Amino acid sequence: MMNCDSFRKRFHTGTEDAALLEHLRSCDRCLDFAAHVDPDVLFRSLGGSEMTPPGGLDAFVSGVMQQVRVRDAETVVATRRVVLWPRRLAMAAAVGAAVFGATMVYRVDAPVEQGRPRMAARQTGQAGLPVLHHQALTTKPVVAAYDSQNATIVEVPSEGTDDVKIVMVFDENLPADL
Amino acid sequence: MLMALFLVSATALADAADVGKSLSVRTFTFKHKQAENAAAMIKSLMSADGTMSIQSKGNSLVVTDDPENLKKIAAALAEFDTAPQPFRVNVRLVSAGRNPAAKQGRVAEELRDIESKLTLLRYNVIEPVGAAEVTGKEGEPGLIDLTQYRADFQFGQYDPASDTIEISNFKLSRLDGDQLAPMMKTTLNLKLGQTVIMAVTRDARSNRALMLVLSAKR
Repeated sequence: MMNCDSFRKRFHTGTEDAALLEHLRSCDRCLDFAAHVDPDVLFRSLGGSEMTPPGGLDAFVSGVMQQVRVRDAETVVATRRVVLWPRRLAMAAAVGAAVFGATMVYRVDAPVEQGRPRMAARQTGQAGLPVLHHQALTTKPVVAAYDSQNATIVEVPSEGTDDVKIVMVFDENLPADL
Repeated sequence: MLMALFLVSATALADAADVGKSLSVRTFTFKHKQAENAAAMIKSLMSADGTMSIQSKGNSLVVTDDPENLKKIAAALAEFDTAPQPFRVNVRLVSAGRNPAAKQGRVAEELRDIESKLTLLRYNVIEPVGAAEVTGKEGEPGLIDLTQYRADFQFGQYDPASDTIEISNFKLSRLDGDQLAPMMKTTLNLKLGQTVIMAVTRDARSNRALMLVLSAKR
């Protein structure tokens, strides 16, 4: 069984080494590494090097890697959720007591709490409204409309920072040299 | 005992939720923008209980929503209803190709800021075709004239909720002989400060693409 170190030393673009491709099927971290070095490796490891996925190879690779990351995250979350049943019971009791206590406090304070915002609203009025400093509250698709019957538009999800957005437009009506 | 605790808590919470569900009504009258456009802009900001109605006669909008949400909506509408603002749109045109015989060369200096993203698209021959910047106010036309290409469009409205400016009817044409041949027509939402790389090609297997690199700023 190959380990990750020797895989990364031996892996190169265009490799067909069966042992390397076999390692990829069982190791998500090396799959991530390999997809960055050579996106075609996903196809070779599946044994389908001549296939072209709909939307293009990059979109496919990006989609697969996203799924791998989601699966990783799910595994981590699932692992952390393992709690013994006596501890669960203790937690439930603690939460219940906290909720009960908080609602009792809320009921006692309710008339006072309801009065406070009204006073504050009167004092600040229109000028007291929070001003939006161009902080986006919603997102819009980059391409709002595209005039063509035969076009496919793919917006590649941004990774972390959203300073650059990639949009692919496949349009059969474009000039023949494209 | 635990069950009893939960039952009491649930009753108390239900009462609290009823108190929090009170809705407020506000009327917004617009000076610079159309109420219909304002309605479309705040749609995504409204809560599930919120409603609105357009009073086209007075160019106003009556919004009903919970008070906290109404504050956000009011702030967004105040920013929306401003006199047409100027924006700068920068357009770079890049020719991209896949040539197995050619080595991946370094991209031109003017494309260094997006080099890593361009290489992701797996084109190894990348050449700048031209670049231009145009300034205009909302509602005004814009025109970009490059050597072989020409783009005309209209500066649409700025949407503060998404921090985007709409670039309406962006028409790209190419000079064929002495005539301009239309290539594509689109409407884009450009987030201020964000660079958009729009790679345009006939299909995924094509070895050539035209890339439009667009960005908008105030």
